[in-house]
Amino acid sequence: MNMIKLLNVGKVYHSRPALKCVDLGIEDGTMLTLFGPNGAGKTTLLKILAGIMSPSEGRVIYSPELSRHGDVRGSISYLGHKNSLYNELTVLENINFVFRLFGRKNGKEAIEKTLREFGLWERRRDPVRELSQGMKRRLAIAKGFITDSRIFVFDEPFTGLDLRWRDTILSGIRALKAKRKTTITCTHLLEEGYELGNIFAFFHRGSLLFLKRRDEIGLNEIKERFRLLEEPGR
Amino acid sequence: MKFINETVTIVRKDILLELRGKEVLSLMTFLSLLLLVIFNFALDLDKVTVSDFAPGILWVVFAFSGIIGMGRTSMVERDEDAYLSIIFSPASAESFFTAKVISNLLFLLTMEVVTVLLFAVLFDFEKLVVFFPRLLPSLLLGSLGFSIIGTLFSFLSTTSRYGEFLLPFLFLPVVAPILLGGVTSMDKILSESSEGFSKWMNILIVFDVMYMVLSLILFIHLL
Repeated sequence: MNMIKLLNVGKVYHSRPALKCVDLGIEDGTMLTLFGPNGAGKTTLLKILAGIMSPSEGRVIYSPELSRHGDVRGSISYLGHKNSLYNELTVLENINFVFRLFGRKNGKEAIEKTLREFGLWERRRDPVRELSQGMKRRLAIAKGFITDSRIFVFDEPFTGLDLRWRDTILSGIRALKAKRKTTITCTHLLEEGYELGNIFAFFHRGSLLFLKRRDEIGLNEIKERFRLLEEPGR
Repeated sequence: MKFINETVTIVRKDILLELRGKEVLSLMTFLSLLLLVIFNFALDLDKVTVSDFAPGILWVVFAFSGIIGMGRTSMVERDEDAYLSIIFSPASAESFFTAKVISNLLFLLTMEVVTVLLFAVLFDFEKLVVFFPRLLPSLLLGSLGFSIIGTLFSFLSTTSRYGEFLLPFLFLPVVAPILLGGVTSMDKILSESSEGFSKWMNILIVFDVMYMVLSLILFIHLL
């Protein structure tokens, strides 16, 4: 069953098309990875999928179990380019805030477990503004994980992370699959993106070039697509 | 219960942010002090005339300091897209808006108390402090309306590149009935005239209710 369905979706910014006639169905439990060069329309698509941007044309349909009257609040966790953190609050205050908004109680253990997993427990009393970029990114991802949403949208989740934490985040996102969560990830890191996905969408200049399952396309073929697009004149 | 929990959580977060950053209150208080000093130097008021000018001066200070302060509270949400934490939570747009109105109202009232005290000192006008308990209902109603419209417009303005520049131009015409109600009702109290006082208080109540309903509808669409 499709959790989200895009029908002929397009987006135009100041008369420049960013997304053209995209038809896409995302089933429950799918791990979709979006690939494509800069300016391909991936971030625009993620924002439309998450419901924070309206398409200029076409329709986005959410499954009834995801939305009540078209409202998907609490069902989708979204990690954009920015970390959505309050810089003056501490690590713990930021995560507690989200925990309370989700109406969850007695979260001490869950919060401690998540912060330890992301290497932030020791810094829990520090204001976010004092953290490094990588730590902020980890906190933003931890904040999403603690919400237990149905769908997780990640826009470049590995930005600013070193190898060690990249692996931790990879395992974290992979663990969502075991919980039957749906993930939609967009990344320029081809190996990581391929490892995370079971369906791959490739975008170029706002158009969906292909949508293939893992058994239909290998990592080398995706790399080859990128290489071809980088050739002069393309 | 869910609405109350969400609203309290967001208000608590705003107060914590202010306690840490001290940006909004310090900005508003500094601006109000600056304006009062300018008025104090520019106007040569004696003990009799100060009573006539006080409501107007005070509401000019409240309005300008309030606009700046509310612009800052919405910028805090837009910085780093922090407000997305709320947007992607099950918290309703109604509780988000109500919480921001309450937070802005709390900051506004704090600034107003400080401003009234500063005014009393700078203009040697003790009557203002003595009459303060009687001024409270009108201050509360006026500030509530101001905070409702301010919250909506400051969110609207942060979505635009020229937002902070446009805010006063968009905001002041809409909030004019509240300013008139605030000034007139304060004037009635300070001049110890009960004539027409209840009428202005009723006007403030009507506008507060109307603004709250319309702002909520607009805010839901804005999100």
